Amino acid sequence: MNELTFAKIDQTVLDTLKPPDRSYWLTVGILFAGALAGAACWIYQILTGIGVAGMNNPVGWGTYLINFVFWVGIAHSGTLISAILHLLRAGWRNPIARAAETMTVFAVCIAGLFPFIHLGRVWLVFYMLPIPNQRNLWQNFQSPLMFDVVAISTYLTVSSLFWYTGMLPDLAIVRDRATGIRKKIFTVISLGWTGAHEQWRHYARGYLFFAALATPLVISVHSVVSWDFALAVVPGWHTTIFAPYFVAGAIHSGLAMVLTLMIPIRKLFHYEEIITVKVLESVAKTIIFTGLIVGFAYGTEFFIAWYSQNPVEMAIFKYRPTGDFALGFWIMVVCNTIIPLLFFFKKIRTTIPWLFGISICVNIGMWYERFVIIITSVSRDFIPHAWGLYSPTMIEFGIMLGAFCLFFFFFLLFVKHLPSVSMTEMKETVEQGAGHGD
Amino acid sequence: MNRRTFLKIAGMTSITFAAGCTSNPESRLFSPVEAPDDMVPGEANWYASTCRECPAGCGIIAKNREGRVVKVEGNPLHPINAGKLCMRGQAALQGIYNPDRIKTPLLKEKAQLRPISFSQAEALLHEKASQAVHKGRNKIYMLTEVVGESLYTLFTESLQRWNSPPPLVFEPYAYEALKTANEKILGIEGLPAYHMDKADVLVSLGADFLETWLSPVEYARKFKAMHALNRGRKGFFCHISAYQSLTGANADLWLSCKPGTEAHVAMGLVHQAITSGRGKNLPESLLSTIKQVSLPFTKEAVVLASGISAENFDRTATRLTTAKKPLIVGPGSACGNALQTNMAVNLLNLIFDPQLMLFDFKGRHRVETAARRSQVLAFFERLNQEPVDLLLLNNTNPVFSMPWESTVIEALKQKRLFVVSFSSFMDETTALADLVIPTRLPLETWDEYSGRRGMVSTLQPAMGHLTGAPGIGDVFLRSDGAKKPDNYTEYLYRHLAEKRRLENTKARIQAIQQGGIFNQNHRTPSFQPPEIEPSLLHEAFDNLSLPSTSELTFMAVPSIRFFDGRGANRPWLCEVPDPLTKIAWQTPVLMHPQTMKTKGLAQEDIVEIQSENGRLNAPVYETEWVHPGSLVMAIGQGHQDYGRYAASMGTNPMGLLPLETESVSGGPLCSTSTVSVRATGRTVKLAHTDGSRIQHGRKIALSVSLDELEHEKSHEKHGLTMEDFPFTLPLPQGYDPQRDFYPPHDHDTYRWGMAVDLDKCIGCGACAAACYAENNIGVVGVERIVQGREMAWLRVERYQDPERGEKITFLPMMCQHCDNAPCESVCPVYAPHHSKEGLNNQIYNRCIGTRFCSQNCPYKVRRFNWFDWEWPDPLNLQLNPNVTVRSKGVMEKCSFCIQRIKHAHGVAKNEKRMIEDGDVVPACAQTCPTDAIVFGNLMDPKSRVRKQASNPRAYQVMGYLNTKPAVIYLKKVIQEI
Repeated sequence: MNELTFAKIDQTVLDTLKPPDRSYWLTVGILFAGALAGAACWIYQILTGIGVAGMNNPVGWGTYLINFVFWVGIAHSGTLISAILHLLRAGWRNPIARAAETMTVFAVCIAGLFPFIHLGRVWLVFYMLPIPNQRNLWQNFQSPLMFDVVAISTYLTVSSLFWYTGMLPDLAIVRDRATGIRKKIFTVISLGWTGAHEQWRHYARGYLFFAALATPLVISVHSVVSWDFALAVVPGWHTTIFAPYFVAGAIHSGLAMVLTLMIPIRKLFHYEEIITVKVLESVAKTIIFTGLIVGFAYGTEFFIAWYSQNPVEMAIFKYRPTGDFALGFWIMVVCNTIIPLLFFFKKIRTTIPWLFGISICVNIGMWYERFVIIITSVSRDFIPHAWGLYSPTMIEFGIMLGAFCLFFFFFLLFVKHLPSVSMTEMKETVEQGAGHGD
Repeated sequence: MNRRTFLKIAGMTSITFAAGCTSNPESRLFSPVEAPDDMVPGEANWYASTCRECPAGCGIIAKNREGRVVKVEGNPLHPINAGKLCMRGQAALQGIYNPDRIKTPLLKEKAQLRPISFSQAEALLHEKASQAVHKGRNKIYMLTEVVGESLYTLFTESLQRWNSPPPLVFEPYAYEALKTANEKILGIEGLPAYHMDKADVLVSLGADFLETWLSPVEYARKFKAMHALNRGRKGFFCHISAYQSLTGANADLWLSCKPGTEAHVAMGLVHQAITSGRGKNLPESLLSTIKQVSLPFTKEAVVLASGISAENFDRTATRLTTAKKPLIVGPGSACGNALQTNMAVNLLNLIFDPQLMLFDFKGRHRVETAARRSQVLAFFERLNQEPVDLLLLNNTNPVFSMPWESTVIEALKQKRLFVVSFSSFMDETTALADLVIPTRLPLETWDEYSGRRGMVSTLQPAMGHLTGAPGIGDVFLRSDGAKKPDNYTEYLYRHLAEKRRLENTKARIQAIQQGGIFNQNHRTPSFQPPEIEPSLLHEAFDNLSLPSTSELTFMAVPSIRFFDGRGANRPWLCEVPDPLTKIAWQTPVLMHPQTMKTKGLAQEDIVEIQSENGRLNAPVYETEWVHPGSLVMAIGQGHQDYGRYAASMGTNPMGLLPLETESVSGGPLCSTSTVSVRATGRTVKLAHTDGSRIQHGRKIALSVSLDELEHEKSHEKHGLTMEDFPFTLPLPQGYDPQRDFYPPHDHDTYRWGMAVDLDKCIGCGACAAACYAENNIGVVGVERIVQGREMAWLRVERYQDPERGEKITFLPMMCQHCDNAPCESVCPVYAPHHSKEGLNNQIYNRCIGTRFCSQNCPYKVRRFNWFDWEWPDPLNLQLNPNVTVRSKGVMEKCSFCIQRIKHAHGVAKNEKRMIEDGDVVPACAQTCPTDAIVFGNLMDPKSRVRKQASNPRAYQVMGYLNTKPAVIYLKKVIQEI
């Protein structure tokens, strides 16, 4: 790592901001078209009714809320990596912190879309805002959905500010080397950063406090999301384990998504020297840990269901691995807890294709975890006469595809227009091996 | 841009926005400049009339709001139904407002029906009739449904004037076997009614008296009068048939016999009764003949022939022979040995009570005027052979109701025969007519139809006419050219005055206002057993045929929803699922699991059933409610035409049946043994509304045995589990700081609650249909029911016993209006709202559609509007103006008929009093034929509902979740047999 110098860091990162070629714009165009297709599906749903999706009675929540929880989960690891690991002085976070934070911000945005898509009357969504009104209505702050409004919006605000704050010195670096209109734009968004000693002093303090402030949010936001379920009476939802279980799951999926995003970027932008295999290996090790927590949570759920001797609770946990949605359950178990165990082998956690493949598996597994939780429980809850099945429709798949396209669309725009690795933080630690831990 | 331009543009934009952002306003609003005298906007007028959806003739009162009928309910004064209605009666509204109702007469020209005017149609009819009359005698034939006496007299007079025979009355269910047996054994050709309520033991041999048999609403009420728990005792009911049916599902004991062996079982019972020494009061000669005839029907022989278990036969026989007032009823239609069954039934009744005190010979059922099927066949034969010129059809559909290869179609298609169909719907028969004249429907006409003798039941228009159609009586009065009163109303009055002693206008008005004359006291003539020729009995029973040994028997059974098929175009009847199968919109074929196993079939497989008369495809439904080897299909669907709701829905089982009739009684044969079944390899998703058939050990629909009940004096329990959670009233006393975190609600004078007696509930689904009618519930159609999107606010849950599938408990499930409602706490915008009177109100305007309330409702009674539901014009005229029509994206559910509570508040306030018990009756409770549902104020210690709360049978469904539901269920009482 001796050859990594300040100039080289700058050069590697700034190289990524060179005018992109046509294949880039083509990809951006395709992603944009995908996002538009999703939007078209949504418009059709608004005009026709939620019935175009596959939900029914009893399964009133479908892929929209699955995707909501999925994306909120993805949004977790950005702040985890940049804030908690910053506080813990885990050096390996530096090369991936910026991209992870960006992923967080965009994932929260995507996640935030889904409750809107889910609503039966989205045009009245402002009823949920505690604004002075003449309808003599007030919101029900007992409702977990109101918790969500607060938690998600807070998380979005804080994580965006944190992201932007961390990026300020880098924006100034870009500004200094830019010309023309680019220079003007970066002058404005770098907020007059000069790199003066005083500025650095405030900045460092501010960033630290931000990290400290953001840390509880990492825990709180997914805990709150879990209460959407845990505070309901539905068997399979009504359990106290949900908050830690959801947070662990969220970190699990977030880390996997970091790998999924970092590995192609590393290749495309020649970040091999900055995002070393060592960094990826650290992420993989953490995935083993979160995977084990998640697996433990699965086991605990089954144990408690048996221990309660509540017939309804027991029936649900018997239904999950053996019933109509057993395939989803086993995808969840295998992808989330068994496959990540392969990372115990050093060979596997240092081989790029394995890392990438397993990260995709965990992403799929975590999507199915939300599917299993949300669908199976209500599908067979208290009253057997009302039981029913659920399968998503093409409209739901269209919206899901649109959401993924939109996410990658944003992310692709980001990597070519803003520094996707924090030059500042890399330089801070270049003496200690640029965050590579040795 | 200067300041002025800016202001102009800003102003224009805001105006455009303001004008553009409206929520679909009514494009036209009219207010009546001169309202009719008795019309007060917002106040309903009620008109008493008579239901004509089946021949039973229940009394109804029709609710008219601002000139439209919006609801029909039973007439409480009427002796037949005592204020109750079945689901077909509720759906009568969808006849008048049916979007496929024919509006103008249609004339067939070059195989095309062309609309013509009413005057043209009548002129044409007159012309054809006079042409026919000029040609000679018997040139005009008429086939009519069962009609009232006045109308029948008018038809007869007109046809007489045309030198033609009187009309033939066609009803698909004409009870030929029952009539013939009554004639042979009792000496009465007719259909006496039964005092079922006074019996202590009731045995039915395939009589589905809770569904279609004679007068189902009446007999449902009377059945529960004898069968519901009363002072610790209840009557015993045994049903013997090859298909359990809803009636059998309500029996204490269902004996599943081989199809066609009901007669054997009945004779076996005769044998047992005689050997146990009953029948001593019969004339010696008759008794000895019966003894002799019944001799071969020993227990062993009967058990062998019928396939029922010896134990169950013994139990039934013992119950019957030790009964004080037993009543035995026989089947109406001719399945197998129906005539012999009915004869044996009559013998049994004679043995137990030679006076037949439980028979009502005076108040006989009007459907007895229907012709036998053999006569109907002969009628069509004659049409084919004799040069008849004109055939008049009044609201009948023989093409649909008779086997396909019948002479009916042939007859109707003849070139020389001019067929006039008086029908408001394009059914299969009407489609073959040369001239279709739509006439006014019963809710729009003056008429008289008395379902039973010894009373007068009147019809009056409950609203103005939707179409310009004339009444059929008026058409006849005008077209036969005689000088008579020129309108049917006048004719009707004269007839009533002559025949029914309605001398003056006052009596007439009174009769019309209450829906008829019901207090005509009559004493039942004492019955003397007639002389019965011994040869008659020998002839009937000596060679009682055994059912064919073929492996499969196909049976077509009447449907509680569609009757004979006439209900198939009423969306509510299609949408409300069948009480037993819980399947909506489709006609499956019911098969025993054993049969399916041998045939290698699975539920939802489409099979092809082939008989020597035809073949059809239908999906399989697996069930223990049929005898192994029986294939059972409900009659009613499978119309080729008959409007958008009926066409190509389900299958018509008639196609498999033979055209021949039973030789002695002349009744149709509705079973055939020459069938084969073949899997087609295709499957179809059944539109069933049940997720699981059993309760999975959860305490939902509970029952208690009669013995246990004697020891159970209270339902006090202390605990926190499913088994021992205490009964928690939705009142302050239902709260306990040990369990409850939040304080009780402060209810203001009223806390509405409901009690549902599962021992009285027969599962008929009338409540569900009434709920659709009252609350503007959307009809979603078959695909959406498959997707699980039915909108019923009230569903009757049907749970089978996990071990013995034929044991069924019904449980009407609607919003429980919990005091501790899980739905209320999770809504972010307070759309579910707990009212001062304890109602869980759903505020549609607030709802944004998160569906969290539905997810969190343990009872799953909340319904989401997945789309905007359609009420094709003019079905929308039926919508109840007191109930909001919900749009897409909104949650809805049972409101305890809050509009009726509000109305009661208004009335009570005007009269300066409190609402009293019984002032508020929700639509479901109003129509329940057995009064299983009671509604009232739980805060009033004297209210009926509150008293039920201390009944030892009272429990709450999933009370252990501490929801404190306001619906109290009373356990079903099971008799140990």
